[in-house]
Amino acid sequence: MSYEFLTPAPTALARSPMERQALAAGARLEQRDGWNVAVAYDGEPPERGRCAATAGFADRSHLGKVELQGSHGLPLGQATRRDDAWWCPFTPEKALVLCEPADTATLLERLEGTFPTVVDLTSALAALTISGPLAREVFARFTAIDLRDSATPVEGFRPGSVGRTPGAILREAGESWLMLFGAALGSYMWTVVADAAESLGGGPVGVDALAVANA
Amino acid sequence: MTRLPPQDGERVDREREVTFTFDGREVTGLEGDTIGSALFASGRRTFSRSFKYHRRRGLMCCAGQCPNCLVQVDGAPGVRACTEPVQEGMEVEHMNARPSLEFDAMRATDLFGGPFTPPGFYYKTFIRPRRLWPLYEKILRHAAGLGKVPKEQAEREWRTEYRRRHADILVVGGGAAGLSAAIAAAELGADVVLADEGPEPGGRLLAEGNHARARELTARARDLGVELLTSAPALGAFDGLVPVWERDTLHQVRAQRIVYATGAIEQPLLFPGNDLPGVMLSGGAVRLATLYGISPGSRAVVATVDDRGLEAAVALLARGVEVATVADLREHGNSDAMKQLMRQGVHVLRGATVLQAEGRSSLQRVTLGPPGAGEGGAGEHELTCDLLAVSGGSAPATSLLAQSGARTRYDERLGHFVLSEMPEGAHAAGEVAGSGSLFEAERSGAVAGAGAAHELGFGDDESRARVETERKTVLNSRDGMPEVAVPPAVTSSRRGKCFACLCEDVTAKDIHLSVEEGYDSIELSKRYTTTTMGPCQGRMCQLPAVRLMAEETGTSLADVGTTTARPPWHAVPMGALAGRPFEPAKRSSMHARHRELGANVLWAGDWRRAYDYGDPRAEALAVHETAGLIDVSTLGKLIVRGPDAGELLDRLYPNRFSNLAPGRIRYGVMASDAGRIMDDGTICRLDDDSFYVTTTSSGAGAVYQWFSWWLADWRLNVHLTDVTQGLSAVNLAGPRAREILASLTDLDCSAEGFAYLDGKRADVAGVPCLLLRIGFVGEVGYELHFPSAHGEHLWDALMEAGGPLGLRPFGLEPQRLLRLQKMHILVGQDTDSESTPFGAAMPWIVKLDKEQPFIGKWALEKAASGELETTLVGFRLADGHVPTEGAVVLPDGDGPVGQVTSARFSPQLGGVIGMAWVPVSLAKDGASVTISDEGRRLQAEVVTKPFYDPDGEVLRS
Amino acid sequence: MSYVLTCPNCGPREVTDFGFGGEVNPRPRSDPSERELGVYNYFRRNVAGVQREWWCHRSGCGAWFYAERDTRTNEVLLTELPEPAA
Repeated sequence: MSYEFLTPAPTALARSPMERQALAAGARLEQRDGWNVAVAYDGEPPERGRCAATAGFADRSHLGKVELQGSHGLPLGQATRRDDAWWCPFTPEKALVLCEPADTATLLERLEGTFPTVVDLTSALAALTISGPLAREVFARFTAIDLRDSATPVEGFRPGSVGRTPGAILREAGESWLMLFGAALGSYMWTVVADAAESLGGGPVGVDALAVANA
Repeated sequence: MTRLPPQDGERVDREREVTFTFDGREVTGLEGDTIGSALFASGRRTFSRSFKYHRRRGLMCCAGQCPNCLVQVDGAPGVRACTEPVQEGMEVEHMNARPSLEFDAMRATDLFGGPFTPPGFYYKTFIRPRRLWPLYEKILRHAAGLGKVPKEQAEREWRTEYRRRHADILVVGGGAAGLSAAIAAAELGADVVLADEGPEPGGRLLAEGNHARARELTARARDLGVELLTSAPALGAFDGLVPVWERDTLHQVRAQRIVYATGAIEQPLLFPGNDLPGVMLSGGAVRLATLYGISPGSRAVVATVDDRGLEAAVALLARGVEVATVADLREHGNSDAMKQLMRQGVHVLRGATVLQAEGRSSLQRVTLGPPGAGEGGAGEHELTCDLLAVSGGSAPATSLLAQSGARTRYDERLGHFVLSEMPEGAHAAGEVAGSGSLFEAERSGAVAGAGAAHELGFGDDESRARVETERKTVLNSRDGMPEVAVPPAVTSSRRGKCFACLCEDVTAKDIHLSVEEGYDSIELSKRYTTTTMGPCQGRMCQLPAVRLMAEETGTSLADVGTTTARPPWHAVPMGALAGRPFEPAKRSSMHARHRELGANVLWAGDWRRAYDYGDPRAEALAVHETAGLIDVSTLGKLIVRGPDAGELLDRLYPNRFSNLAPGRIRYGVMASDAGRIMDDGTICRLDDDSFYVTTTSSGAGAVYQWFSWWLADWRLNVHLTDVTQGLSAVNLAGPRAREILASLTDLDCSAEGFAYLDGKRADVAGVPCLLLRIGFVGEVGYELHFPSAHGEHLWDALMEAGGPLGLRPFGLEPQRLLRLQKMHILVGQDTDSESTPFGAAMPWIVKLDKEQPFIGKWALEKAASGELETTLVGFRLADGHVPTEGAVVLPDGDGPVGQVTSARFSPQLGGVIGMAWVPVSLAKDGASVTISDEGRRLQAEVVTKPFYDPDGEVLRS
Repeated sequence: MSYVLTCPNCGPREVTDFGFGGEVNPRPRSDPSERELGVYNYFRRNVAGVQREWWCHRSGCGAWFYAERDTRTNEVLLTELPEPAA
C-alpha cells in the first residue's frame, strides 16, 4: 500500500524550497522530470572554477528520496551505491534511498515489494551539494560533524545536526558532499550555506556545472 | 629617544612607520610595534588609571597578562595595548579616567579616601536609603569600571563566525615546548592544531633573543602540516571542547588529545608602591628591549627570587641599559647568570629584596634590604632609578588545565602550585609541567606530543621505546632544578599601599580586613574582595592572595588552596562569542505566495506564518459567507504503519482508534501519565495497517519523539515516519468550498459522497492529495494534504478556481476567532500543564473501559472519581470590551477562582466571546461570572455549547 | 556542558545533537497505588554517580537509546539500543 499523496506527480510542477533564493542569485531554471531545476548561474567556466578552486553549492532537492523501514542489512555509517541509487542507512531498521527523479516511481515499486514500510520523502527533504577544496571549510561554519578523511571517507554517511537543525551528510566523491535537511528549512539553509561559502570565495553553481565538475 | 640601536631578532621594522592616535594626539610607531611599545617609545609612561583609586599604572608584563595597559581601540573597550599590533589610523583612547589620563579627578579616593574604600564598601555604604540606589548606581558606574561601550553602535561591520575544527591533537601554547610537541606528534602522522596567544609562535624563545630557533621550529611544524593559529588564545576547556579565539573567528577545537604547553606566569612582589609606573616584571622589561628595541629605563634596579631576574639583568646590560643594583633574595647560589653579573661588576645584594618604591608620577627611588624590615632598618640601600625589574618567581599557568579537571598541589621548595594530577587525555609540557630551561622545554614537549600521538595509535614500538627513554631523562633532569627563594607575602612592614590585585585595586590591607571580618577562606575572600576576578583572571594575584591568606590565617599555602579561574581565560569580545546568527526558521512551500499577497508574517513556534492579510475580520467573515483558504502546513503529520498501529494509538490516546474504519477520521487528545493534556489532533485511518496522525503545529517534534520513545519501550510492530515537512496542507472552508473543490477534481464531493469526518484520496488540479473533511473553523471544510513540492501549484489553482466565487485567503488570527466561535480548544492556550480532559470539558474522549493500560489511564481513573474544581467554559460579554487573555475570574468579588484563556470580538455574532476556567458550580448556561481585567469589572454570561452552529448542522451539511 | 555522546547508530556527536529523556523510570506494569503512581510521575532518584538514562538522537537518526552516564563528570560509560521488536 503506497501513499501516493506523498509523491510529486508529473501532472503538476514541482519546486524546490530554495527556488526563490536560487532565482535571486541569478539561477536559470529548467523543467526536468517535472521539477524546476537550477541548472546554471553565471556560466559553466566560472561555476566549474568555483568547484575546482573554492567551493560551489548546488540545489539538488529534486532528487528522489525514499525511506524504507524493516531490516535492510546495510552497513551503518556508509552509503552503498547500488542500481544507480545511494542506499543510506540511519538505523538497522531504517534507510533512505536517493535516486534520480525519473527513477523514483520504479524504485518505489521495487521497494514496496521488499520492505514492510516504504514512504516517499522526496518533498520532505531538501538537498544541497557542496563541492570543492574548501567545501569542508564551508561545512565547518555550521556543523560539528567530523568530515575529515579519517572520520568520513568517501561514501561515508553522517546523520547529525547541520545549521542547528536535523540533517545528514553523504560524501559522494572526493571533495563533494550532499547535505539533506528538512524542506521547510530550505530558505534558511540556503542563507546559512551561501553566507559561509561566499565568505570563503565560493558561490552557487548549477547542477550542470556540478555534474561536469564531479565527473 | 628610548629606542635602542637595532637589536638582533627584533620584531619592529625601522624603515616603516605607522601613525595612529592616542586620545586624539598623533603617535608614530614602527611596523611590528604593539600599541604599548609605540606609546612607550613615544615617551608615555602612564597607560591607565586603576579601578578604584585611579592610580597611575604603566606597562608591567608586556605579555598580555596584567590589566595595566587596557585601552579602548576604535570604540572597543578592554584591549591590551601591550599585545595589540599597531595599525595605521587606529584610534586609541584611555579608559577609566576623567577628565584625562594625566589629570584624573577621582584620584582623590586614593589620597583622602580612607573610609570609602575597604572591601565590601559598596555593600556597606550604599544601602540606605534604598530609594537612592539608582542615583548611587549611576555615580558608582561612572567612578569604577573598565571602559565604556558606546551607547549607539553603528550596524555591525565586522563579521564573526564559528569554525569547527576536529583534530587528533590540540597543542595550547606555541613556545619551545608547544612547538616541539606539535612537531613530534605530526612526525608520527597525527593531525595537529597549535594555538598560540602571540602574533608569532616562539614564546620565551623570542623574548629571550632565541628567535632563530623559534622560527626554525615554526617552519618545521608548518612543513609537517600543523595548523598554526596565532594571536589565538584558548578561552577555556569545556568537556574536551576548546574555543580558540582568533580575531573574527572562534575555532571550536575538538581534539582527542590536548597538550597544554601554557608556560608559566612571572609573579610580582608585594611592597609599598609596587604598582608605580616604572615597576615592571623582569620579563616585561626584557621583552620591550628585545622585541621592540626599546630601552625600558635609563637606570635599572633588579629584585629577584630566582635566576629569571638575574638573566633579565644580564639581558638588559647586554642591550645597553645601566643596571645599578641587583637584589637577590637567595643567600647563596652561583649560576651562570650570577657569574656573568659578577664578571661585569654589577653590584649584587644577596638575601635582599625591594622594600619600597617611591615616585610622583612614576618611579624615582627604591629601597632595598632584608625582607620584613621596617623604616630605617639595618642593611638598607636607597637607590634612584627609573626602572625596577621584579621577578617574584614563576607560577605554572595551570588554569586551563584546572578547568579540564587537573589538580595542583603546593610545592614548598618552589613556592608555587604545581600539577599533581592530570585528567584523562591531557598532557602537559614545558614550564607548566615544571621544565625550567628552554632546552628542557623542547624535550618535554617532544615527549608529550609523541606520547599523545602514541595513545591514539600513531607510531610503532620503536618510537614508543625512544620516547619512553626520553621521558625518564626529562623526569630526572627536574631534580637539578635551580634554587628559588620563596618570598614573604609582603616584603616589608613599611607603610603604604601594597597591591595584591591590580585589576580590582585590592591591597594587602584589604585582605587583612576581610579575614578579620570572617571571610577567612580563599573562596570567600575571592568573592568579597573580588581578588582574582578581574581581567587578569588571577594571573598576577592568585599566588600573592594565597600567600596573604596563609599568613593572615596562620595556615599553610597547601591548606589555603587555590580558586579555579572560570572561562573565558582570556578577555574576548561578546561579538566573537556570538558568532554568526543561526535562526532555523521553517517556511511553508507557499510562503512566497503569502508574502506576495501582503501577509503579516510572524513567528509561530519555529515557523514563519501568515498572521493575517491585512483585514482579519473581513477574512473571517469571508469564511462564513463565501470561502476562505488557509495554509496549515505547520501541522505535525505522522504516518503510523504496521500490524500493531491501532494498538499503539489505543495505548497512546485515552480514546480508541483500533475500531476506526478505513477512510474515517477521529479527533484525539493525548494525555501524559499524570492525566494532563499534551497535544491534540485528528487521526485518519488510511487502510487496515496505517493511520495518518496530525498534531498541533508546535507539538509536531515532541509528539513524534513521544511516539517513538514509547515504541522503543513497548517494541510493537509499528513503523513511524514524520512527514510534517513533506506534506503541505491547506484548509478550504466556507459555503462555496465544495463547489470550488469539485471544479478541480473528479472526486464525488457531495455531502453523501464525501461526508463529515471522511478521509479521501484524489487528485486535485493534478496534485495527488489526501483530503480530510474536518471543521476546525466551523464551516464545511476540506483539509488538503499534498506533496510540498507542489505548494505553489495547488495554491495558485485553488485561488484561480475560487477567486470568481469569492475565495479569500485567511491567516492565523481569523482562524483563531473562527475556532473560538466553535469552542475548539488550542492546547497550550486554553489548557495548561495542569489541565485534564475532564477539566477541559471533554470527558467523552476518555475511554476508561479500554482494555489497554493507556498512557494516563490510572491518573484519569482517579480524576474521574474525584471532584473537579474548575472547568473550561465559554462566555459572552454584554460590554464591547475584549478582556485580556489571562484576566481573572471573580465569582463573588473575592480572590480569583479562574482565568480567561481566549477572547475575541466576533463580527459574525456581533459581540465579545471567549473561553475561561471557572468553578464547576458556575459551569452552566446562563450563569454569571465577573471578570476583572486591569481594574475593569466585566459581567459575563456562561455558555457551554459552541457559539456558532452549536449542533453542527452547518458543519455536516 | 559540551561533552560527546556516542549514538549507537551514528557514532560520536556533540551532546547538543541529542534530546534527553531523563533517567530510566519504568512504568508500573499493573494497576498502581496512588503512591506508586505519584512516585512514577513526580519523583526521580537523581543520583550523584552513574545512572541509566534515555537519550534520543533527534538531530540525526532519530533513535532512542540508553546511556549510562556519571552525573558528576558527564563521562558516558556506555550507550546501547533497546532490544529491537520481535
